[in-house]
Amino acid sequence: MIKLSQERNKSLLAVHGWSAVFLGLLLYAVILTGVASVFAKELGDWSSPLSAPVADPFRPGTDRMMREFAASVDPQYYEEFFFFPRAGDRLYAFFHKHETDEKGKPRERGVAAEFDPLTQTEIERREGTDEEVDAGDRANALGEFMVELHVRLHLPNPWGLLLTGVLGLAMLVAAITGFVVHRHLIKELFTLRRHKEKLLSARDTHVIAGTWNLPFAFILAFTGSYFSFGSAFGIPAVAMVVFGGDQEKMIETVIGNPPKEDKTPAPMADLDRMIADVRGRTDATLGFVTVQHWGRADSLVTMFMHYPEGKLMGPTYVYGGATGEFRYAKPNLGLQPSTGGALFELMAPLHFGNFAGVFSKSAWFALGFAGAYVTITGLMLWTLRRREERGWRHLARATVWVGYGLPLALVAPAFTYFPLRAAGEMVHGPMMTSFLLVSLAAAGIAWGMRSLTLARRVLLGLSGLALLLLPVARLLTGGVGWGGAFAGGLHTVLALDIAFAVGGLLCLVSALGRPAVPAAASADSELDEAVEA
Amino acid sequence: MSAPDSAVRRRFWSRFALAGPVVFLCAALVMCGGALWLPKGPAQIDNLVLPIVLFPAIWAALFFYAYLDRRLARAWAVIGGLSLVHLVVIGVYVMQTMQAAKAAGAGGS
Repeated sequence: MIKLSQERNKSLLAVHGWSAVFLGLLLYAVILTGVASVFAKELGDWSSPLSAPVADPFRPGTDRMMREFAASVDPQYYEEFFFFPRAGDRLYAFFHKHETDEKGKPRERGVAAEFDPLTQTEIERREGTDEEVDAGDRANALGEFMVELHVRLHLPNPWGLLLTGVLGLAMLVAAITGFVVHRHLIKELFTLRRHKEKLLSARDTHVIAGTWNLPFAFILAFTGSYFSFGSAFGIPAVAMVVFGGDQEKMIETVIGNPPKEDKTPAPMADLDRMIADVRGRTDATLGFVTVQHWGRADSLVTMFMHYPEGKLMGPTYVYGGATGEFRYAKPNLGLQPSTGGALFELMAPLHFGNFAGVFSKSAWFALGFAGAYVTITGLMLWTLRRREERGWRHLARATVWVGYGLPLALVAPAFTYFPLRAAGEMVHGPMMTSFLLVSLAAAGIAWGMRSLTLARRVLLGLSGLALLLLPVARLLTGGVGWGGAFAGGLHTVLALDIAFAVGGLLCLVSALGRPAVPAAASADSELDEAVEA
Repeated sequence: MSAPDSAVRRRFWSRFALAGPVVFLCAALVMCGGALWLPKGPAQIDNLVLPIVLFPAIWAALFFYAYLDRRLARAWAVIGGLSLVHLVVIGVYVMQTMQAAKAAGAGGS
């Protein structure tokens, strides 16, 4: 128990509640989309699988593919190049140069291509700025939609990142104050009173979920606000002061690759041999390859590995691009280990939960889900305690709208995605339109139905139905069948089909489970039931 | 509105401004200024990386101090002083850099 004066405790309780009330609904949206984003790669594997699972995206022959790709690209884009596996383990490659837009913001321009590592052929190619290249991406669109909503709420840069950064800080405040104001922390981990007073029961459930979730909420809030502010504001601000605004120079400095220039043309060494060499140096699997200055004597090839067994960070391996010789192993930042570099490397696994494959991802998914539950029940408790004041009833409706309408709106873009993708059309704009339209319809249900409980049940039931129909939409638009997926070893396709069906059924059971409160019931009892749910 | 009410309201808004926008600005200044006075460490990057990675912690520490200090005037003085010190550190560095660039330009021509 943390001893605080009554006045201080009251102050902290106030800031705990108000930080959640002002930003709680947006925070819930960010947490819920974050929960889905944990499996963004799997969403891509599910929605856009190749004909068979890819055992090794970087198998021998990668060098030939990349060399042929380079030969077809304007050499002005040889400044930087990277390739890594994405949806279905397609190898995504991007030759680009760095430039600034009309407002002076740095951006990339170049040519991107997707390759099938099984047949070692090019699937499709796009050209333009990084934003234009991403807008034409179909294979990863479903996972990216979730990630974009999570990272910047689909708002333009830097406003979206700044907003999610502020939300991260609000969550940090809620986590710290939650820890301090729970006067009997250990006891509250195990206290669930079963009594007739629904408010107390609901409060206990909120407190139990919140208390167990506190360390995780703290980690997510800290790392999340770092990721948002770091790129939107931290790097530009520090670069402005220390490097006169030159962000490229700052990034070059912290990464630590020596920028010794030698523009002499030189053919690239064999990438396959470098990949084979790095695999002999570590048991970690290869995740990402960058090449600076393709086709020049000063070319550097950097191999970024996934996490080594039992570790949250590991070195990257640098090769001379022209010679193919191993140069050195280094941390992600700097040329030797440092406190700053170590802290930076810890941020990603702690936020994404990707350090132990599907097991850590599942744990992060579950803990994130609990965080979303705590946010929404906290808001419901707040509105319930103020049910006598009419103004708060709108917040209660908004809570039902976002709490139960957002999952429905998040599933809706998939029903636009599958048919458009099958027809070879652009998917991003229509996906956003369907998301907004369903959000609007959910608002109509939340405010249009007199009974709040009924609105909640309708939205939950519709979410369940939409989840249940997701595998059907996939199958009807040319997706691989269950027999084919099973025989072909496409386990992610089967696993997510089952997960969506089970999730949908659970939502439907929950929506239909208890008798609805009659329309004539008082608003108070509706709020009670909404909170209890 | 009675005089005590008005004083309470003024105090609330003063605290709100301090713990809100002023603390955010102060945290940003500490982050930028920290890049100039923090030790560079063995990899020569700690001064650049640590302030950015620890920005949420800097903000949280300043926020809770500004929010909880019983003496509002002292909180203003501490946050204001910290901001001013970092503003001066940044200003001096930027001016020195500009003068050095000017001198290098003059030497070159």
